[in-house]
Amino acid sequence: MMQPNKSATTMNRPNKIILFLCNWGPHAAFLSLQDEKRDIPEEVLMVRVPCTGRVDRSLLLKAFAMGADGVALVGCSPGTCRYGSGTLIASRNTQDTSKILDLMGIGQERLRFATFLPEQADDLLDFLHVFLNDIKKMGPTTITTSPTGPAPSDQRALPREDVAALIAKYDIHACQDCGKCSSACPLALVGKPFSARGIASAVINNDLYKSDVEENVWSCLTCGLCYERCPSAVNFPDFIKELRHLYRKNTIQGEEAHGGFLHSLMRSMASRDMTPNRWRNLPEDLQIDQESPVLFYGGCAPYFDIFFGKHLDVHTEKILFDGIRLLNFFDVHPRLLGDERCCGHDLLWSGEQKHFGQVARLNVERLNSLGITTMITTCPECYMTFKTTYPSQGLQLNFEVVHLYDFLEQEIDRGAVQFSALDQVITFQDSCRLCRLESRAELPRQLLNRLQPTRFSEMRESGNAAMCCGNTAWTGCDAFSKAMQVKRLQQARETGADLLITSCPKCQIHLRCAMQDPFRGDELQMEMLDLTSVIVKTIQWK
Amino acid sequence: MSTTENTVAPQQEIIVTGFGGQGIVLAGRIIGMAASLGDNKESTLTQAYGPESRGGACNAQVIISDRPIHYPYVKTPHILVAMSQAGYDKFAELLTKDSILLTDQDLVPTTSAPCPHYEVPATRMAEGLGHKMMANIIMIGFFTAITGAISKKAAQDTVLQSVPKGSEEKNTKAFNKGFDYGVSTLKGKEKRAAGKTGAIAS
Repeated sequence: MMQPNKSATTMNRPNKIILFLCNWGPHAAFLSLQDEKRDIPEEVLMVRVPCTGRVDRSLLLKAFAMGADGVALVGCSPGTCRYGSGTLIASRNTQDTSKILDLMGIGQERLRFATFLPEQADDLLDFLHVFLNDIKKMGPTTITTSPTGPAPSDQRALPREDVAALIAKYDIHACQDCGKCSSACPLALVGKPFSARGIASAVINNDLYKSDVEENVWSCLTCGLCYERCPSAVNFPDFIKELRHLYRKNTIQGEEAHGGFLHSLMRSMASRDMTPNRWRNLPEDLQIDQESPVLFYGGCAPYFDIFFGKHLDVHTEKILFDGIRLLNFFDVHPRLLGDERCCGHDLLWSGEQKHFGQVARLNVERLNSLGITTMITTCPECYMTFKTTYPSQGLQLNFEVVHLYDFLEQEIDRGAVQFSALDQVITFQDSCRLCRLESRAELPRQLLNRLQPTRFSEMRESGNAAMCCGNTAWTGCDAFSKAMQVKRLQQARETGADLLITSCPKCQIHLRCAMQDPFRGDELQMEMLDLTSVIVKTIQWK
Repeated sequence: MSTTENTVAPQQEIIVTGFGGQGIVLAGRIIGMAASLGDNKESTLTQAYGPESRGGACNAQVIISDRPIHYPYVKTPHILVAMSQAGYDKFAELLTKDSILLTDQDLVPTTSAPCPHYEVPATRMAEGLGHKMMANIIMIGFFTAITGAISKKAAQDTVLQSVPKGSEEKNTKAFNKGFDYGVSTLKGKEKRAAGKTGAIAS
């Protein structure tokens, strides 16, 4: 979608089109254009690839995130793919990425997939001109990219004063080297060579550049279990958060999971002129009032559904719709923000404080201008980020941030509401953000205890001791993350439950992923629903 | 008095009944005082004395009216508030189809009223708040929300004047709890009548 008011930074730069060109069919056509010195537009920057099927969705999005105004994926005509499935895969990747671009408000027309035979040079040239013409009409994208700083000459020279400040701030010297962190850490317990106190010593001994330390810093779950157990109360999650930032500042990159797709997406959200395009597929039964003083904030769920829908049966956007249904049940018709950005949680927790700061400032500016009194969200990360992180960074909101569960608990407590019987044994997966970082483990349980299941059994590790779903900020996912997820699902199965209730869309995605393990058959399979969706199914007026 | 002429009856006759010691008479007095001192209406209170007020089926009879009241006893209650089974049994036969019955659902398990009936677990809620004896205040809140016989402000002010010093905050909480329950009950009834029982559109 085109935006009317663009700032000068994006307006006057030349258009840039990235052309991913398959080595086999269409590259021959492109070569003949070059040989004949035809007028290939200079805006088109060609990248020759072995097969368009290998240009995955994260690469496509990354091109936009790095400043492309249009991306063309040009491959071999159906049936002529040298590797059989390339054309099909490329076409599907393009479709998914287009949907994301549409939601982001960038415009799905900016990404095109086309196929040509080697002899179709003229057609290829036409395609490029038509595409460039369209892009010119649309103008540059609203994504602003920020330049990366120069790499330091020696990575080992992490600025000593920064490290010293970090040690002082988090009182790392208070670490008694007792090892309670390691005996609690879910990653260490599944066998990963990971040590929280090891990172603490590394900071003190100036060993941060060592590759095993670096690896540990990026794979920490920041789930907060070690902080819970630490006798010296070293705030490990926050410490890791800032350590990652320090790494980033010195161009030490993290292991971004999923090809960095989600990071590219979130980084793009830092562009002032970008106007996302949300909430267009709202079910008809939902009642919305755009004048309402109560805003419902959705979060990233729809992006997740498009991205993970390729492999997993995830429907996290339904949690948002169910949240609105529950507000409607109590006669609250919330307002929705069509240009809702993400809260920036994952950027912050993967060390990108600069982009996080930009996203946060844009959010605060926009949300404070709405004149709302309350923001209700069902995502634990959005809740924590708006409620605690923004104010702690000096960003004040002029409205109250409320978790949907708080709202529900308050309304249900008024009485005259009951729950229909749920013919299942249930168990509950805590969200690390809600239960530990926000110390609200009791909140979902108040609601869980109101439900009428056959039985509610807690898992072996629950509440403040609960095990993480395996990953938090889409960084450092590896075989050990998977092992954790498997362990967690086994704990869930041990309770005898046939329904696993979650409270975070990421728990849904990660645990669902582990359930797909082909070597374990259906040994890990179980029904999984978000608490919001379970309540919506069973709540009723007395 | 004709029941067909308008919706807001110019005269409301109320019986509050329960065990002696539940604060039945106090509840009656608060309702009456709220009507006269808060809402500027006429009101009378007659109450049970003797053995009833010390543990038997106790009752308080309140009349609220726009006009001077000539006779202070209730023959046909417009509203019956029952906080014990014995109390309910004693007055149930006086109910007509136009009456409203309010009960503590845990203390009055068996009813067969010819009229609209609203239940609240007042004593259980009072226990939840830490003081069983505040059940009567919860019931006043519920009564206020359901019947509208007295205004919320008048009821709240009178509750504050009538309870022991130092317990105002707790009693306000109890009143609001009952009032909210009443509002939710009415809302639930309306929703059910409209066929919207659950949260998912059927």
